[in-house]
Amino acid sequence: MIGAGKKRRIFFALLIGVCVLAVGAIYADLQIGYYTSANLGSVVQPAPPRLQTNGVYSVAAYPLYTPQLVPGVGRQDAAAYCNTCHTPSYITMQPPLPAATWKAEVDKMGKAFGAQIPTGAQARIIKYLETHYTPETRKH
Amino acid sequence: MLAHNESHMENKSNAYTRRSLLKTIAVGSGTLALSHFAGATALAQQLPAAAKRLPSFTGPGPNPYWNSVGPMATYPQKAPLVLLTDRPVQLETPRNYFLNAITPNEAFFVRWHLESIPNEVDLSSWRLRIEGNVNKPLALTFSDLLHKFKPVTLAAVNQCSGNSRSRFGPRVAGGQWGNGAMGCARWTGVHFRELLDMAGVKSGSVQVQMQGLERGKGPKGMPSYEFKKSLDLSNPVLDESIVAYSMNGEPLPMLNGFPIRLIVPGYFATYWVKCLTEVRLLDKPDENFWMNPAYRVPDTPRGTTTSADVAAGKVRMIPINRMPVRSFIISPDGATKIPAGLPVTVRGTSFSGYGRVAKVEFSDATRGGWREAKLGEDLGPYAFRTWEYPWTPDRPGKYSLAVRATDEKGNVQPDEGVWNPGGYLWNKIERQEVTVGEPA
Repeated sequence: MIGAGKKRRIFFALLIGVCVLAVGAIYADLQIGYYTSANLGSVVQPAPPRLQTNGVYSVAAYPLYTPQLVPGVGRQDAAAYCNTCHTPSYITMQPPLPAATWKAEVDKMGKAFGAQIPTGAQARIIKYLETHYTPETRKH
Repeated sequence: MLAHNESHMENKSNAYTRRSLLKTIAVGSGTLALSHFAGATALAQQLPAAAKRLPSFTGPGPNPYWNSVGPMATYPQKAPLVLLTDRPVQLETPRNYFLNAITPNEAFFVRWHLESIPNEVDLSSWRLRIEGNVNKPLALTFSDLLHKFKPVTLAAVNQCSGNSRSRFGPRVAGGQWGNGAMGCARWTGVHFRELLDMAGVKSGSVQVQMQGLERGKGPKGMPSYEFKKSLDLSNPVLDESIVAYSMNGEPLPMLNGFPIRLIVPGYFATYWVKCLTEVRLLDKPDENFWMNPAYRVPDTPRGTTTSADVAAGKVRMIPINRMPVRSFIISPDGATKIPAGLPVTVRGTSFSGYGRVAKVEFSDATRGGWREAKLGEDLGPYAFRTWEYPWTPDRPGKYSLAVRATDEKGNVQPDEGVWNPGGYLWNKIERQEVTVGEPA
């Protein structure tokens, strides 16, 4: 007769053995010939442009890689007014900033840079940035 | 990580069995399975660096990475560069390009303040105007610049005032550059003084103002409409400045200021006006936003202060000027393990806005003290000076490599950062952690 305690010990011994084998197998898989499918992030190779011999020198359009702002009240105002002079990458690039800094930044856009933002919209933009882009609140 | 391993296993013919096995284990014994999954996670951390993405932003602490964390993006005439912002365009040069003293045009960093920058320049109507407080206003063609003046060539580092701003603690708002908002090119053009002399600067002139084709969507008269910079006429840097039409023996890329830009050796890039079209002699100091309050630094040693002192109005601010001495470790970059006992060449670059780099010292923090590195070719007082140090780590472990430069004026890089509200003048000693593994 095998006691219940012994049964349990055999079960655990087997289990540990199986685990060691499994991890060993995974490890072996990672050692050689390990590939994974991924987004290449490929870049299109431009064709040589047809150039004329006149005095005009030009380049293609500058591409936009515009990030998304976090959804929330005030996002529309930020999109409408901030976007006049710069894309939201100017917001998303920043580290999480204290609420007072965001207020100072938006005030600077109006006072120093001359952005024409109605008072109501300006308050909503500040509130929006304070709600989503501070050290306490920023997630994305 | 786990999801990653699972998808990997699905690609293998025998993967399904193993996955079932793992599931069985997971059901059979929670605790044991957890510990083994933890093991799998540790393994996954040794996977190629490309498998794991950088975060999309850093903070509130300092950015711990060499470059900023943006994605790589391609722009006209450019290799893939690190994207900070897409409109206006700001692109950072990836670390590996700094192994050479000359930064290729296609990798040279890009920084514009305003969004309306040229995609096209018609040289048949383009003119460089020298005007304002002068005896004879000039309107020079591109070919005047090429043929009516003696060409001069100079290698010089162009560094954004806010380079390494993301190192600041506490962080400050602004372009969150890593270390790659810098580059060194061979600039060919015309002595700036020669142009000023040709126009005849009237007595009573105090500053020379530069403006290019950069425009913004803001109201006229506001800094969001145009970008202008000025230098004192008494500043000796004007004698060394050139109006460059060639960069590394090629036309300037549009994003770096085609057809000409001002080169102000030793000075931060804010004065190196791109797509230069107007040079104005002023009879009173320029007080436009881009001169005051923008691009100002505390008039204190190293330009460092505190936000409390700024708020209390205790700090006098002056226009930013010369670049403090800096040096960088470019390779190894910490992404690859080095076997103990293998000799490796630690390589990097250095420069100073105050003149030649006289000495670069290396430390691995284990054998105490700084050891002098071998300097690369001397391309002139304002160029990058590469350096290298033969290093053989003798034992496995984590090593903190450090580099420090001293310029010919005796300025030495300090081991403390700076803080100022603009996020300027960073030149703390750079460190790189590397992992040395068992050789056998």
